[in-house]
Order: sequence, then structure tokens, then C-alpha cells
Amino acid sequence: MQEHGTIRLFKRGPTAEFRLFVLVLLSLALLVVDSRWNVLNPARQAISVVIYPFQRFVLAPRDFVARFDNWTDAASLARTEKEALQRQRIELAQIATHAAQLSAENQQLRRLLKVAETVSQPSVAVEVLYEPPNAFSHHLIFNKGTTSGIRPGMPVIDEGGVVGQIVRVTPFTSEAALLTDEKVSIPVQVLRNGLRLIAFGGNVSGKVEVRYLTADADIRSGDTLITSGIGGYFPAGLLVAKVDHVERDAGSGFALAVASPLSHPERYRHFLVLKVDVSKQQSVGAGTDGSKTGR
Amino acid sequence: MVRKPVDNTASGRSTLSFLLSLEATAIRRPSSGKMIWGSIFFTWLISLLPWRLWPPAPDLLLLVILFWCLNEPRRVGMFTAFVLGLLMDVHDAGLLGGHALAYTLAAYGAVTLTRRLQRFNAVVQALHMLPVVLVAEAASHFIHAWLAGEWAGWQWVWSALLTVALWPLADILLLLPQRRLDEVDPGQG
Repeated sequence: MQEHGTIRLFKRGPTAEFRLFVLVLLSLALLVVDSRWNVLNPARQAISVVIYPFQRFVLAPRDFVARFDNWTDAASLARTEKEALQRQRIELAQIATHAAQLSAENQQLRRLLKVAETVSQPSVAVEVLYEPPNAFSHHLIFNKGTTSGIRPGMPVIDEGGVVGQIVRVTPFTSEAALLTDEKVSIPVQVLRNGLRLIAFGGNVSGKVEVRYLTADADIRSGDTLITSGIGGYFPAGLLVAKVDHVERDAGSGFALAVASPLSHPERYRHFLVLKVDVSKQQSVGAGTDGSKTGR
Repeated sequence: MVRKPVDNTASGRSTLSFLLSLEATAIRRPSSGKMIWGSIFFTWLISLLPWRLWPPAPDLLLLVILFWCLNEPRRVGMFTAFVLGLLMDVHDAGLLGGHALAYTLAAYGAVTLTRRLQRFNAVVQALHMLPVVLVAEAASHFIHAWLAGEWAGWQWVWSALLTVALWPLADILLLLPQRRLDEVDPGQG
């Protein structure tokens, strides 16, 4: 304002229009490249590492309050937990004997079938750092990344079953797409009859869909879907969802099953990332991961 | 309004301010760099918190950037807006460039309007900034929708309205140090 008379003389650098043009062009280039390819991931990781301390810093009061809350509730929580545990122990004792019996029998059957014995999966426990405010996707950011051995493609589970899949990692954080995100697809199996299917994140928010069923497929409401282990990312036998209803369209000859996930990513803050070996899937999974992470 | 000389002899202008004509007193002295960058940094930190999950939540960072673009166009401009936009893109885990585009466009609007608007009061400034914010956000959302192949709804319009509605508040808070110094309301040009 004060420089009204001396605009030309003291104006520094390029004009505002030129700057606007360059920056807008840069933004558009970033948008297009980031939506199609993964080449910007190193830049994203670098920025993410820089802002990580600030994220932890501003979220520290929340974590502190949560910890303080936990501490004050500890006594009553311990009492109720003790009662629950006592009850559970009695129930589990019965189940344990039963399970031991079944496991022995199962092992024998497996040997008979010459099925490779399932190895116990190494895993890492993670905590939700924050939920990104993004209208397009259902993602969660966890507080551990490549330094803890997390890689894109690894499945995330909670005590209910599969929660989602890691889609992007930085050194200290990782980003998971939830089951209900429409970019995620999981090979599943109907527990009742072993029917192999693929579940997709639903168009209806909070639901999982099984599409491309033939109209006479043997699936009905109440069926439990578990991972089939086909495809390599998700180990077999994890709970995924329970079928709500099946829509059979006589006209097209196809059916669609809508299911509710059995995991509850909105309720707790701790999850388990299964360290499956994603290295050999990397070449296959890179393309699909790109389309997942890009949006 | 009674203007009295302030016993702040550090800057010559304030001791002589009562000698100047009424119009001239409306010219503000520049805000301190600490205030500008401090307020931007603080708002950026605030923006990392989860309250932005509410879809119509106002974009406080954009508000503060635009405010300084308008009032201190020599120090804060499109480049600052672009860099902060990128930081928000990484934090939100969205497409890189989405926020950057919206912030850059809005900052351009503020920078070009700066000469026209500096003498107006905060409400008029807010009214002028409304189309700027709406156009910038719309451009970003349309391009995002085109690239991602999905439309996130119109909640961002509420966000833009709320952002602009908070402009007078930003005006009061961010120019507080100057008002305290010379007790002249610079908004009443």
C-alpha cells in the first residue's frame, strides 16, 4: 500500500500471474501423477517424516488424557476384568479340552491329506495415530511403519477378524485401507460350505459386498465369510464378515450378497498387523496397490 | 474516538501519530514476522488435530493464510500457501496437490485483491473473500473428482462458508498486537 507509486521500481521476482501459473501447473502435475502412479511416494514419505513429530506433539494431550483416564479407571476396570476373566477361564477350560482333542484330530487329518501345516504368523501390534479426514476413503493411520517391518499389502486384524490392509507406509507411520473401503478386495470363503468368493468394499458405507455370484449360488443371510488364503496376502481362516442379505436378480442372472464386517475398527485403537511375506507378491500386487493407494 | 499519543518512543511514528490526518492514521504498520509465522504455524498444528473429521469444519489454516496474503502480501503469498497445502495433503493422506491447488488459487485471489480491500473493514473483506474461497475449493474438488472418479458431495461449500464467516474473528485476533499499540482501529478506513 505504501509503495503505491513505486510498483515497477521495487517489485521483486516474477509477477503474481506467473507464480500462479507455475504453482497451479505444479499442483495439477502432482495430482495427476499421484492419482496414476506411485512415483511420488518417496516425497510423501519425506514430508511425512518431517511432520510426524508435530503430529505426535499435538496429539500428545489426547494420549495423555486417555492414559490418565485409564489410570483412574484402573481399579474398577481390574475388578470387572477379573470377574470376566474368571468366568472366561471356566468356559475356556472346557473349550480347551475340546480344542486339544480337535487339534489332535485335525493334525492327523492334515497329515492324511498331506496339507502343509499352517505356521503361526509373526505380527506387530499397532495403535491408531489418527483418522485422516478424507471423504473418499476409509483409512486409518497407525503409529508404526517400515522401521517396525510393516510393508504395503500386509493384512490388519483385530479380535473380530480382518480389519483391512496396509496400503502405504512411511518410516514411522503406516496407512491401512479398511475392509469397507471400496478399493479393497479380499478372497473369501463361505464357512458353511467352502464356496470361494471375492468380497469388495461396499457401495453402502460400512458394508462388504460379494458380487458376481451366480443366481443359484449357495449363500444365504447369516453365513460367515472367512479368508480363503488364495492370492497370498491374507492367511486362510480369518473371520471377515457375516452376510446380512442376498439380492438375487432374476433378470441378470447374478446375485449380490451384502455383509457386515465382524471386526470393529471404530471401537478400539489397537490392532495387529500380520507380517505375511509380501515380497514375492510385490510384482503382482504393485499394480493393484497403486490403484488402491492413489485415491 | 479519542487518540492519544502512546509512550512507545521506540518507533517514531506512534509518538507523532496524533499529528497525522485522519486518513493517514488508518495505514497500519506492518505486522511482526513473529506474529505472522507464529500464527500460521500454530494454525497448522491445530489443523493436525482430529476436529477436521467433521465434514463442514472450517479450514482455519486457509483462513489464516488468506488473511496474511491480504494484509501482508509481501511476506505471505502463493508459495507459502502451496507448501502448506502440500503438508496438509500428506497429513490427510489424500492426493498430493489437492490442498496445494486450492490454497494457491485462493492465495492468488487474496494477493490480487489486497490493494482494493486493505482499507475496508473485516466484514466487507469477508464478503469479497467468499467467492475466492468458493472458486478455489470448487476447482480443487472438481479436479479431484475427475481424477478419482468419485464425488465427495457438497459439504465443502459449508466448510468454505464457515471459513469465511470466521474472517472477522481472525481480523480481531491477528491484528490484536497493533490495536494494542496505537489504539487506532485500522479496519475503519
